[in-house]
Amino acid sequence: MSEINTVRSKGTLQLINGKKFKGELVANETGAAFYAKGQKEPMAEWHYARMNRMDNIRRGGTSSQITVILKDDARYVFDLNQGLKLYSHMDKNWADKPVRAKTRGDILHEQAERLGQKIEVPKKHLITRRHPNRSIGGDIVIYLLLLLVAVAMVFPLVYLVGSSLKPLDELFRFPPPVWPSHPTMDNFADLFVTMGQSWVPFSRYLVNTLFITVVGTFGHLVVAGMAAFVLAKYEFPGGRMFFGVVTTCLMFSGYVTGIPNYLIMSKLGIVDTYWALILPAFAAPIGLFLMKQFMEGLPTALIEAATIDGASRFRVFWSIVMPNVKPAWLTMIIFSVQALWNNNAATIIYSEAKKTLVYALGQILAGGVARTGQSAAANVIIVAVPILIFVFSQSRILETMASSGIKD
Amino acid sequence: MQSQSFANRYLTMRREKIAHGWTLAKRNRGCYLFLAPYAILFFMFFILPIGTSICLSFTYYNMLEPPRFIGFQNYINLVLQDEVFLTAIKNTFVAAVIVGPVGYILSFLFAWFINELPKWLRAVAVIIFYAPSIGGAAFQVFAIIFRGDNYGWFNSILMELGIISEPYLWLTDPRYMMTIVIIVSLWMSMGTGFLSFVAGFQGIDRSMYEAGYVDGVRNRWQELYHITLPSMKPMLLFGAVMSITSSFNISDVPRALCGYPSTDYAVRTVVTHLFDYGFSRFEMGYASAIATILFLIMILSKKAIAALLGRVGT
Repeated sequence: MSEINTVRSKGTLQLINGKKFKGELVANETGAAFYAKGQKEPMAEWHYARMNRMDNIRRGGTSSQITVILKDDARYVFDLNQGLKLYSHMDKNWADKPVRAKTRGDILHEQAERLGQKIEVPKKHLITRRHPNRSIGGDIVIYLLLLLVAVAMVFPLVYLVGSSLKPLDELFRFPPPVWPSHPTMDNFADLFVTMGQSWVPFSRYLVNTLFITVVGTFGHLVVAGMAAFVLAKYEFPGGRMFFGVVTTCLMFSGYVTGIPNYLIMSKLGIVDTYWALILPAFAAPIGLFLMKQFMEGLPTALIEAATIDGASRFRVFWSIVMPNVKPAWLTMIIFSVQALWNNNAATIIYSEAKKTLVYALGQILAGGVARTGQSAAANVIIVAVPILIFVFSQSRILETMASSGIKD
Repeated sequence: MQSQSFANRYLTMRREKIAHGWTLAKRNRGCYLFLAPYAILFFMFFILPIGTSICLSFTYYNMLEPPRFIGFQNYINLVLQDEVFLTAIKNTFVAAVIVGPVGYILSFLFAWFINELPKWLRAVAVIIFYAPSIGGAAFQVFAIIFRGDNYGWFNSILMELGIISEPYLWLTDPRYMMTIVIIVSLWMSMGTGFLSFVAGFQGIDRSMYEAGYVDGVRNRWQELYHITLPSMKPMLLFGAVMSITSSFNISDVPRALCGYPSTDYAVRTVVTHLFDYGFSRFEMGYASAIATILFLIMILSKKAIAALLGRVGT
């Protein structure tokens, strides 16, 4: 073992439990060791998983980082300041890691050129391990389980769509087919005929739904966004407690508060108006909760800089904070639209002309056996809207949900 | 002497704390202005209803006459005289104890499994698992699937296979109703909590796993317990709150599938009971007592789960 193939680096070793040690890392062909400051014995030692001679070691971009490349193309990076990490090139996320896969080829070719040799690029492995602690058997079991459950989850939805496309003779056939052999749109056509015959025109329901959803969602976004902003970014007496109460109220949605809500709304005189649906939607706890958690991730420096520049609080909120939390907006909008869309509000709105589309469709849904096809068609429409919205916005929603945790 | 000076010091400290809070509040006046619109609406539609509910629970109120104070009579009646309520409590607990924890654990496990999938497949899987809960009324298709005649899909499959010889009344026979309500509720249990888990898994720093590997974590279960769970605690609590909400509020599924009221009250839950008294019989005081009990149960479950989660991964 030559001294050239040994790399030393000073740095801080951080363990998973957060303890930090100052010291020196020594890496060579067979492994690496970390010596805490002033200690003769290594505090920790690692041996490379494969019995391979080290091919090349080099310093990475920062002084505290060492990349070790083995002959079989396994690479390890020691990143001392952010904890000791072993990166294997098999890791799928290699690309965004400190060393690019290209580096090795470059170095090899450089060396080969210098020595006038031909080099062989190692063959790619057939099965790559993307994660250290995964057995292939376990992966297969999990994939099978997922597939099985996914089929069970999706089956009722497929059956629903199938039923809505069935002609009458197939709806009452034994055994009932899951998917019709002669799909038809008749049920949807019938549905519109039925809705057209009702006392209030179909378009009226649609306008009601649109109005309630748009106004409710927009108001929710502004009102809850403003509250979330101050709760997330300023420390003031009562703020923390208020947020605690909101978190608890996440549980009390819908029916449990139905009765007193009705009493309060009738005192306010908004029963049987659109406001009975819109105003509570403004204050939906889930929106404030998600928005606040997401805004906490926003750098405070951004706000401070704007405040020093003389921007008013509302300006900071409107032109700095809000544009930076667009994923959270979208999530709020979607949850709000879903809640408003699925809210048939039979108890607080009773005049037919103010009812929502889902309510009207729900009446057909309850129509009994004779309308099986039509009610399936109505159900497909009710269900399709929120699912489609989710399909098109899921990556943004997941981005927001990443900060959804409740810190105790 | 000693104690007095201690008391004095304590008082001074309190006074200073209050004074400090006051200056902080004055400096941040604008914050309250920002909070006000939300706070007012939130108070009106969430806090006030809960308060009203608690107050009304001690009265007799039928919407026509003004509320009459009757002390704990509603609660006493609920426990001692209302047999249907006891059925409802029992049903709610059976459903919540199964749907809550099982749905919660399944949400977590499947979020974990999904996280192992390649990216494009992950998106598809998230949609498939989340679709039942997002599409509000989708569960009504079970009324067709479990229909009590030959044309019900489940009956027809069982008859084809020769397991049963004549159709079963899945949705009106008290022997099966609860099971079906539980199955359907489980189908819908991958909700907001599930999304939060999926997002939480993606947010974990991958280098933690590499570091864990170095430190001797040898399989996926150890990894789950020592690395994943501790860093997901906040999401776990959020998921728990969501699953308490949905499991104690089960009412749409039994009402839509099994009828309202259901045969022999076999799937009556606390919320459908509340509906019955509140919106059919207009005994608002009594209904409020039911709601108050439900609030208490839910808050206690949340506290219990938060305490339980506090110990995870340590």
